[in-house]
Amino acid sequence: MAMANISETESVRRDALAHLWMHNADWATMAEEGGPPIMVEGNGVRVTDSEGRVWIDAHGGYASVNAGYGHTEIADAMLAQMERLTYFPQGTTTAPMIRLAEKVGELAPGDLERVWPVSGGSEANETAIKIARAYHRRRGDNGRYKIISRRGSYHGATGGVMWLGASSSLGDFEPAMPGMLYAPQPGEYRRDCGGATAAECDERCADAIEDLILLHSPSTVAAFIAEPVASGLAPPAPEYWRKARDICDRYGVLLIADEVVTGFGRTGKMFAMEHFGVTADIMTVAKGITSSYLPLAATVASTRVADAFAGEDNVFRQALTFGGHPVTAAVALKNIEIIERDGLVDNAAQVGEYFLELLHELKAEHKIVGDVRGIGLLLGLELVSDRAAKAPFAEGLQVGKRLTRKMREQGVIMRAGGDRVTLGPPLCITRDDVDEIVAAMDRAIGEIEGEVGGC
Amino acid sequence: MAAATEMRESEELRRTSLRYLWMHNRDWTQMAEEGEPQIIETGKGVRVTDSEGRSWIDVNGGYNSVNVGYGRTEIAQAAYEQMRKLSYFPQGTTTEPTARLAAKLAELAPGSLSRVFPVSGGSEANETALKIARAYYKRIGEPGRYKVISRVGSYHGMTAGVLWLGGSPYQPRHDYEPAYPGMLHAPQPNAYRYGAGYDTPSECAVHAASEIARLIEFHGPKTVAAVIAEPIAIPQGAVTPGDEYWPMLRQICDKYGVLLIADEVICGFGRAGKMFALEHWGVVPDIMTVAKGVVSSYLPLAAAIAREEVAAVFAGEDNILRHVFTAAGHPVSAAAALRNIQIIEEEGLVDNAAQVGAYFKEQLEGLMVDHPLVGDVRGLGMLLAVELVSDRKTKAGFAAADRVPERLNEKFKKHGLIFRVNSNILNIGPPLCITRDEVDEIVHAIDLSLWEMEGEMGIARMT
Repeated sequence: MAMANISETESVRRDALAHLWMHNADWATMAEEGGPPIMVEGNGVRVTDSEGRVWIDAHGGYASVNAGYGHTEIADAMLAQMERLTYFPQGTTTAPMIRLAEKVGELAPGDLERVWPVSGGSEANETAIKIARAYHRRRGDNGRYKIISRRGSYHGATGGVMWLGASSSLGDFEPAMPGMLYAPQPGEYRRDCGGATAAECDERCADAIEDLILLHSPSTVAAFIAEPVASGLAPPAPEYWRKARDICDRYGVLLIADEVVTGFGRTGKMFAMEHFGVTADIMTVAKGITSSYLPLAATVASTRVADAFAGEDNVFRQALTFGGHPVTAAVALKNIEIIERDGLVDNAAQVGEYFLELLHELKAEHKIVGDVRGIGLLLGLELVSDRAAKAPFAEGLQVGKRLTRKMREQGVIMRAGGDRVTLGPPLCITRDDVDEIVAAMDRAIGEIEGEVGGC
Repeated sequence: MAAATEMRESEELRRTSLRYLWMHNRDWTQMAEEGEPQIIETGKGVRVTDSEGRSWIDVNGGYNSVNVGYGRTEIAQAAYEQMRKLSYFPQGTTTEPTARLAAKLAELAPGSLSRVFPVSGGSEANETALKIARAYYKRIGEPGRYKVISRVGSYHGMTAGVLWLGGSPYQPRHDYEPAYPGMLHAPQPNAYRYGAGYDTPSECAVHAASEIARLIEFHGPKTVAAVIAEPIAIPQGAVTPGDEYWPMLRQICDKYGVLLIADEVICGFGRAGKMFALEHWGVVPDIMTVAKGVVSSYLPLAAAIAREEVAAVFAGEDNILRHVFTAAGHPVSAAAALRNIQIIEEEGLVDNAAQVGAYFKEQLEGLMVDHPLVGDVRGLGMLLAVELVSDRKTKAGFAAADRVPERLNEKFKKHGLIFRVNSNILNIGPPLCITRDEVDEIVHAIDLSLWEMEGEMGIARMT
């Protein structure tokens, strides 16, 4: 009898605990904590779980739900396409995929206009690296295969790209992909490259790219890949990107801009590289291109790069079943239409600026807030035990986890990696929503200060 | 008037495509010369219609991936209803369709395969399987195990971790060197091409399996993490191993403590006439990957499914697998997959694949009687292949200058088939809902195409 009476929610939760392998979580611990919340509904910046609780999503589904939840017109666009044609692979093609390629080609800066569609950011960056390596071979520059990325960056979870951007949590998957070189991460707060000012530090970080190229010989380096603004960090000084572009040009190294997180308005420009007036040779996009309504991503190459693959003997050899899926393309088109129609890029810039101001006020109130930073609606916050020394908290205190939990208790979904918090809410967020999130953070951080003796 | 407008629009679309789109294994200059690309507009069952109103039978079934056939509006409806409720949420928390799909896959999967890591495509699924395998050995205190054995002539995906598994001259990858470390290659159990002394499927299977044991011994068992293989491999044309092969692989992996990964990306969900192809041999792998047929390509979805014993080492806060994809476990894709699997089960498409597949194979074998070009017919269920040769005795292929694949592509197109060929092997993988009449139509078109080829090549008919 008891079995027959378990609620729908309990039954879903049991299925999840018994059979689902979730992200950076394990079923044993989850079971102890009562199992995962089951989300059933979404609208704007809010989602509702199966127990009727409404949450504000400051995390924005890995900073991906740019248009916000619950746009039924996107569902309508999906249905209309699915009723015509559910799928066809990219040996031939389909109208929505052509229109999407055109749209992305038009929106993308400079001569970035040749679009290779895939299903996610990892595949997009894998494709970018394959294009870069093959490009040099097409030009007879066969020795170029090394890829420079930056410590602390993230470019994906598959074999080639997970080794871009160094992180200590990769030990499980050794050995690494060959040819990975690591440059320092620019950033005002930690100033990895020293310097008296942030700008000076960032310039040195750019110079370090040149040092790496020279050390390894330009004839071995294929590409430099970086996010225009790394998630949760401050945007680099404009000089950083201008220098990086010059260095790549000087040594014949391709510049890949990973706009997976930053693209489609996240930072207050359609693409974040527009802040710096620099155009990459290859750009990757994902997340915001469909606001995660369906899986879609793309690698966008400049005409100059793509032209190396024109002609029967030069074809770029790659296929994947779901690349260029017409239903996902129809959804992306409608999503981009909403971003443009509703002025979400400007809203990200304006409300983002307001959000950052409030975070600065939070920092003024709370000593354990070491730094607040970001641009548009890609914001970050770093907690420290000692502001002067910028010292992190002891790992055992699990400060990030405490913060996440306290935010959850107040109905805010937020994610902290250690002492660092990244915020990436939907771009349709209002000032009132921001007030709500910051008020919850104010309370949560205040409580943590009491618990860990920060004040 | 209306037709003229449509024509202009279709031409405009084509030009836009040539300017902006980067398609699979093709280039825009050549496509422009050939009046390509073709633009597909609607689909129903095994047929699709292009922008010029021409109807085609899709012998490729997408990429062997549209198992239930095109145009199932129930799947569209299921995806639509889910998207109207909740368009997405990442796998830190979860959603009903994703949890239900995990339970459904666990129920269908053989043995104790029951822990499901959902992703968005076959490459991601195989990448996930390899990451699980390598991390598994770190967890159980054998950190030296990282090498992965695959087979020459197999294919497991396009991302760097899986790109160097398998390999075939038809899918060159020297553009992307250097290769990933730790890739070892065993022979493919392809009796047609294995070599003298191993002519029967059984002899070939035993030898090919033993070669895997030899590789493990040579490199040292303590350095090998996994063996990955498709139950029936595609690139060399539906290579179906002798019955000894898979049970031997299971034994060898157990003996040396190596994980066995079955790539059921193509074979799964009825394609080979069983829900999963390894059921033909009663073997349960340690990790199984699925894609394509799990959702009949209606939306992007795939999964890596681990045995409970393997997954167990990742339970507990300190043992978590650190691995995330934004779109993994997408609730809309999951809703579509659930509805798709329901169709496969309710409409008996697995049995249809077995029965109509057997009929299809007989008809193809019938072509051998008339056509000297047909060297071999093989496969299981609706995963079939025809290998063409210039000389049956020597099994010789064709000179590149003869442009056999290109000419076949033109002929199949002329006869109303979408049936892409890039070597001397014809891979057949239509929707599983195909009827005998539709099979007859396809075989007739192949028959005509072969007559034409033989005529042009001056090859006499069989007497």
